[in-house]
Amino acid sequence: MVFAHLFFDYKLLRGFEGSKYVGFRWFERLFSNPNLLQYILNTLKLNLSALIFLFPLPMIFAILLNELRNLRFKKTVQTLSYLPHFVSTVVLVSMIMTIASPSLGLLGKWARAAGQTPINYLADPDYFVLVNVVSGAWQSIGWDAVIFMSALAGIDQGLYEAARIDGANRWKQTLHVTLPGLMTTFVLLLIMRVGQMLSVNFEKVYLLQNNLNLSASEMLPTFVYKTGMESRNYGYATAAGLFNSVISLVLVFAANHISRRVTDISLM
Amino acid sequence: MTQQAIKKRKRGDFIRRSLGEKTFDVLNILLMLALVCFFLFPILNMLSISLSNEYAVLRGDVTFYPMGINLQAYEQIFSHSTLWQGIMNSILVAGVGCVLSIISLSVAAYPLAFGDFYGKKLYNVLILITMWFNGGIIPTFLTMSRLGLHNTHWALIFNTMITAYYVVIVRSYFESLPSSIVESARIDGANDFRILFQLIIPLSKPVLATVSLWVIVGHWNDYLNALLFIADRSKYTLQLVLKEMVLNAESSVYAISMSGGTDTVGAAALGQQVRNAVLVVSMIPMVILYPFVQRYFITGVTLGAVKG
Repeated sequence: MVFAHLFFDYKLLRGFEGSKYVGFRWFERLFSNPNLLQYILNTLKLNLSALIFLFPLPMIFAILLNELRNLRFKKTVQTLSYLPHFVSTVVLVSMIMTIASPSLGLLGKWARAAGQTPINYLADPDYFVLVNVVSGAWQSIGWDAVIFMSALAGIDQGLYEAARIDGANRWKQTLHVTLPGLMTTFVLLLIMRVGQMLSVNFEKVYLLQNNLNLSASEMLPTFVYKTGMESRNYGYATAAGLFNSVISLVLVFAANHISRRVTDISLM
Repeated sequence: MTQQAIKKRKRGDFIRRSLGEKTFDVLNILLMLALVCFFLFPILNMLSISLSNEYAVLRGDVTFYPMGINLQAYEQIFSHSTLWQGIMNSILVAGVGCVLSIISLSVAAYPLAFGDFYGKKLYNVLILITMWFNGGIIPTFLTMSRLGLHNTHWALIFNTMITAYYVVIVRSYFESLPSSIVESARIDGANDFRILFQLIIPLSKPVLATVSLWVIVGHWNDYLNALLFIADRSKYTLQLVLKEMVLNAESSVYAISMSGGTDTVGAAALGQQVRNAVLVVSMIPMVILYPFVQRYFITGVTLGAVKG
């Protein structure tokens, strides 16, 4: 039902009865859009870079945190680490703008102190992926580590004792007991993350966009939003949105399938 | 259980640590301290700018502590009605949304945990599939418009009222309760509504507290839905107001008009301070909730991870 707009030149006030049936016109227009390939590439670039860097980091952070001997210090670090999770996207983006500002921000100040010209990170398409990954790391490492911390607590302590008796040092224990113990959690979360990959990043990317970095920051979801809400072209936007959903569904099934083949762990 | 496990591990640690392990411990502590700085610095920077005097702000000198305390920015925002209107709207949405979410999540999870009926599996799949597949931005917007909910706070509340992930978490908690209490209540003649509202919900306070805090934080920080559904300025929620005041501030009239206007240098600096002060104020409710929240959050996430 909700996808019926795909085949109409839909006008909000007139409803379906008053709108013209246009068949597959929106799909034809979408696939003949010369920028479509760039939007897809940007979508994949932004999300894959975030996935590759931000997915293993929380696990490494959790393992290192777990190695701390002082319990109070460990708890304090963990509590502070997920504070950024509660910062809203709007606040996050304005923090990025303040800190990255070449004239007033911290990064500019440090660059000048080191004798370099400050870089305007938000005006340069080449740095957009970096900004996205670093701010994502700031916001998600601590929170995502919570799940790994609870998985770590679930590993049988007897395994560590057995490893110690066999003469394994802490590095060997981590390699042969901790990592295999976290494997299932890691793979399941990875599959879920792949499925949500194309839909989670919208707010931040949309707010960080400006005319100067558009060539790197325009991705499918922001294109959908602009077409639908700013140009009010509902049918075209729905077609582009459906295309995005289909890509993510394909990705989640592919990830699930590969994981079942390789590691025998799967969602469904 | 975590505590116990750690104690046990410490007891087993009677072997003297080698030099390599000691080096690792020191490096690990240093790395953790560096990470704490990474997590805290942006927030400290924001707080410091909002409290510093304007010359330090304009020179870009402010780092992680205020330079020359100046509360002018906070005085300015206290008289700013748009901001307070936004905060009130957000409190309204978060409060009503939280109550409705808790009721509907419990009602959705109850049959999954205790029910035995034809089509239970289908019901389960229909809820879970929304975790990965939904109509997308535009169809959601059009559906809400056709329902006559556009430009109402109800659109924000209904759109996120039942989230599949939360249903899963509430269901796993319900399943962990002994099913014999449900059976004995049924034998005593209680119907399902009575069992749910008078027995199960009071027993599930920890998980319901976790989820209601999630829902509140979600509403408080939500930007996308408010952007889609709210058109009137008087109905703007906090994040929309923040976006207007802070991100559009370079060109907007807010910063200038709020600083009195005549002194342009002061205006530019105060603009910076006001912007950061607004952000700080928007985070205060979350900071107040945080100590309560973080204790419950861990239980909640753990539940979801173990049984999800």
